[in-house]
Amino acid sequence: MVATRGGFAGKVLRVDLSTGKIGVQDMVERYEAVLGGAGLGYRVLWDEVPAGTGPFDPANKLVFATGALVGTSVPCNGRATVTTIFPTCWPRPLVGSGHMGGHFAAKLKYAGYDALIVEGKADKPVWIMIRDARVEIRDAGHLWGSGIRRTTLELSQEMGPDCVVAAIGQAGESQAPMGMVINSVSHSAGGVGGVMGAKNLKAVAVQGSGAVRIAGDKAEWEKLIKFHLSILGGNNQHVVPSFPTPQAEYYNPASRWVGQPGRRWGAAKPPVELAGDIYDLNRIAYRTNSAAFFLGEEAWKYTVRGNGCTACPIRCHTMLRVPSVAVKYGIPDMAQNTCIALQFGRMFFKQLIGRKGGEAAIEACMVGMHLADDMGVWSNYGQLQRDLRKLYEGGYLKTKLGSKEYASIPWDKYDNGDPAFLLDLIPRIANRQGELGDVLSRGTGAIFDTWSIPEDEWANDHTTTYWKMGHPKHHANEDDGQCGVIINTQYNRDAQCHSHTNFVRNGLPLAVQKKLATEIWGSPDALDAPGDYTPANIYKAKRARWSLVRKELHDALGVCNWMGPWVASPRWERGYAGDDSLESKFLSLATGRPIDREELDRAGERIFTLHRALTIRDMGQVDMRTKHDLVPPWVFEDSKGAAPFTKGTIRMDQADVARAMDLFYEVMGWDRATGAPGRARYAALGLADVGERLAAMGFTPEDGK
Amino acid sequence: MSESDTPTLAQAALASVRGASAEARLIAAEEVLEQLLARGFGECLGTGTETDPGQRVTAVLSGLPEIASLASLSGRTMYHDPALLSRTYARILDRKDVPAMLMAEVIRSNSRDYPRPVLVELFEAPPFDLAPAVIEAALKTMAAGEEYRDISFTTTSLGTVYLFSSLHLERSYAAFLAEQDEAFAMNP
Repeated sequence: MVATRGGFAGKVLRVDLSTGKIGVQDMVERYEAVLGGAGLGYRVLWDEVPAGTGPFDPANKLVFATGALVGTSVPCNGRATVTTIFPTCWPRPLVGSGHMGGHFAAKLKYAGYDALIVEGKADKPVWIMIRDARVEIRDAGHLWGSGIRRTTLELSQEMGPDCVVAAIGQAGESQAPMGMVINSVSHSAGGVGGVMGAKNLKAVAVQGSGAVRIAGDKAEWEKLIKFHLSILGGNNQHVVPSFPTPQAEYYNPASRWVGQPGRRWGAAKPPVELAGDIYDLNRIAYRTNSAAFFLGEEAWKYTVRGNGCTACPIRCHTMLRVPSVAVKYGIPDMAQNTCIALQFGRMFFKQLIGRKGGEAAIEACMVGMHLADDMGVWSNYGQLQRDLRKLYEGGYLKTKLGSKEYASIPWDKYDNGDPAFLLDLIPRIANRQGELGDVLSRGTGAIFDTWSIPEDEWANDHTTTYWKMGHPKHHANEDDGQCGVIINTQYNRDAQCHSHTNFVRNGLPLAVQKKLATEIWGSPDALDAPGDYTPANIYKAKRARWSLVRKELHDALGVCNWMGPWVASPRWERGYAGDDSLESKFLSLATGRPIDREELDRAGERIFTLHRALTIRDMGQVDMRTKHDLVPPWVFEDSKGAAPFTKGTIRMDQADVARAMDLFYEVMGWDRATGAPGRARYAALGLADVGERLAAMGFTPEDGK
Repeated sequence: MSESDTPTLAQAALASVRGASAEARLIAAEEVLEQLLARGFGECLGTGTETDPGQRVTAVLSGLPEIASLASLSGRTMYHDPALLSRTYARILDRKDVPAMLMAEVIRSNSRDYPRPVLVELFEAPPFDLAPAVIEAALKTMAAGEEYRDISFTTTSLGTVYLFSSLHLERSYAAFLAEQDEAFAMNP
């Protein structure tokens, strides 16, 4: 009998592919302190995966974890976190998570599980069938070698309607570190596809007939849902429209709220004209068109509709129909995605990046989406594309690749910005074909290792946006000064944190942002205008901490950190304030166990600190400050020689960043010299066992080696 | 007119303003008066007496906290309900017939408040809906007019033109913000 509580399904499913053993364990009793998501994943890795385990070793585990709000009616709740020893982390693999939306997470909850832990390695290709309590390991021999679409189709036909398939393509099968898993057509978790492939796990397919119980007052729950809807903006919680409109005092052309009345989803049948009140809660999905934002005006005529994750009204995966690509490239004329994955194809071409508009750019996006989302190739937040550009434009490939292989690549198509180039390149990567395909399939670190290229050649070059450890920056100093820098030092892959950037880019005037910052973080100095940075201060450090904690919380609760947090809103009558306590209110009502904002933030900090502990343990190193929390040299340079703190530069000052890190470690309660938590800090967060174990290994500041 | 008539008159005046705002339209006191008279408020307004009904309407409108007023280019005071028709939008509507002034005000407020330069194409889109030729003429007017000497432009590395006000943005900062704006699509 498992413990029950609202919100949680109550069980964690374990499947050992080596032994075929399938079992369940109690969720609440064992993992409630870390909520779910990456928190659960970190805990499993801490407890069960020894330091030094490689990503493709059978001893590595894959933790697909949802959260207590997944599968409820909370907006944007479709997130699943896949935590493992992450294969693209360089020079040594360390803990990391991929995150996917779609409908896998909710379906897993409806089947009765908060998480799925995959262990061991099957001796032949298999897939995991989950139909409520019935779980089976089934043969996937007939699927091995297939793309994700065919796999999804075949498993859907086998299981019947209403199932969700999370599958890998050829990249994952070939154990490419750059492989990804995809569910619901386009919702991917990067970097973990190869780990599935190493386990001979082609797919997980889930059917669930249950529901998620809300333990608290149902009327209060409904009221809170409606309130949450009322404070939503557009994509990334941009809270003002990109166009002047009678109802809005503010507008911002950089806002991703682009659905202006009069626009049309031109490829819908019949076309849909966006009309009505832009604040109407039943028309929130009209606000976002990722394709139009990222690709320009032409995208409207190709738009079918917005697609998205469970219970998300934003619908950021724009579905496009571009008839010309079927004829020109022999691919389906429909595709859907958002963000980098939407632009996967065009980002390879120097002629097509940056500019909005142009048929070639849209066609390149279609070809890129088709191939990457079928073969399961991850972009590493665009680093794959920047790497290829630098390698080619910088002349590296000509000298590093054998002349025969170099000549076999259709560079003329690349030079002409011809999307057909991708038909050659992406399969090379997915199949790890030739030296180029193999190196790119292993991530940026493989470029340094294989071709003896010093990491500095990337880290000194701002155009690569390379940060550290084989990964790029993810909303750093270009968006948010020291706060962005701090956040980008903390993870073992790109930071994937949007808490900070969604606030600074929310579209409100600076004075309004500063007013809200005062209310939330205690001072208007918690943020600056972009490129008009002032020296580090304690409020920026507090905001960095808040951003990281909320990111971890969102991942652990199963809500989308790409859309949240919701601390600003479109509502002028609220002074544009959102609600900083929304997550704790939802969790309290879902579980029936009241938890306030501070206590929930402590849980987020516990999760984040567990990530720190795993990193320390697996690096065999307590000195995080100088060995892990690194900032690339380009951050301290300006192409025009502008000094730090002058208007119009994102150049940071080294001494000031050092002070920013001091302040951050201070607000985290960590040791300043090493950037590591001490035993007392672990204990205060309910991680005494973790602190004691690290202390015994000499990996706490007071016991440091 | 008695004091007891005032709330009803105020409510009717408020309804007139809100009706116009809901149609994305500014309204003058004269039009409010016409509507009130048409709705039978003549006696309340003191028509046929020494009281000036227009002044009475103006006084009523001034006493409505929900209502905002705008000194129109026409010289008249125009009214709107900011909950339905924002101050920003009201100014755009009022300046629409004077493109140079409209563009300059928008450029200045964007440079001052956010801060940001704006794409010249902004003015081709709704609600501005200015034809390229009109925009070009307005830019020429601004280039020649002393009152617009703060309006300037910067061109990004991809050749996109952004407009800004030097009263609120230094040239180098405007150039930075323009480059950043253009790069947003590649920084998702």
